[in-house]
Amino acid sequence: MDFLKSLTIAASGLKAQAGRMRVVAENIANADSTASRPGGDPYRRRVPTFRAEVDRALDAHVVALGRIRPDESEFRTKYEPGHPAADANGYVKYPNVNTLVEMTDMREAQRSYEANLNVIGATRRMLQRTIDILRA
Amino acid sequence: MTVSNLPLFSMLRTRMHWHQERQKLLAENVANADTPFFEPKDLAPLEAVSSAVPAVAPLKLARTDPGHIGGGTLGGTQFAGARGQVFEKRPRGNAVNLEDEMMKVAANQMDYQAATTLYGRSLGLIKTAIGRR
Repeated sequence: MDFLKSLTIAASGLKAQAGRMRVVAENIANADSTASRPGGDPYRRRVPTFRAEVDRALDAHVVALGRIRPDESEFRTKYEPGHPAADANGYVKYPNVNTLVEMTDMREAQRSYEANLNVIGATRRMLQRTIDILRA
Repeated sequence: MTVSNLPLFSMLRTRMHWHQERQKLLAENVANADTPFFEPKDLAPLEAVSSAVPAVAPLKLARTDPGHIGGGTLGGTQFAGARGQVFEKRPRGNAVNLEDEMMKVAANQMDYQAATTLYGRSLGLIKTAIGRR
């Protein structure tokens, strides 16, 4: 049944976007998480990746969340000598999370999620039409 | 003679199969809307089964006066309707255009609905013939 395949593919999209949303939430929540000891590294931003995966049973390219990789860019530093995580020179490392970037990422995930929902709705209506033939 | 042997029904069935397959491909495109290096796919348009349907002569306007300009055929426009290649590509090599895909999904759904409605009506025709209503 091809419609069920369509539904499964769209559901894989929903799952991937939900996973991405989870990573974005993690990043935003930890936007100010510093290290617990002086001079240590704070929270490092994480980047979700997507990959197309061939599902043999479905004979289709479903999407899956790939490895979640760390963002290797520089940490932000602030001069706060009184902070418990400050190094010898009085600088505190803050996570390399840019809230604006995370927000746009979140919006994109939201849009893609909605698009997948739309496909599920359309497929469902088509399926309903097929069943309606029986009632005619 | 079963219902599925009638040319009309088998044609509608082919059409519905085609829409199902297309829906699958469109779902793939939307699901992979953020996958790097993913190129969207679409099904080739369904070709009319010429053996099942006798060719219909194109409708023409009649010329009742020699001074009239001859009317062209009414079959379709002269403009290229379909856009060929996608021209928009993201830096990560993803060429899925979400708006385009949504339009295709909606069109697919409407065409499918037309086919199923026609199927239901044709069934009703047969029911009338056997005197059930």
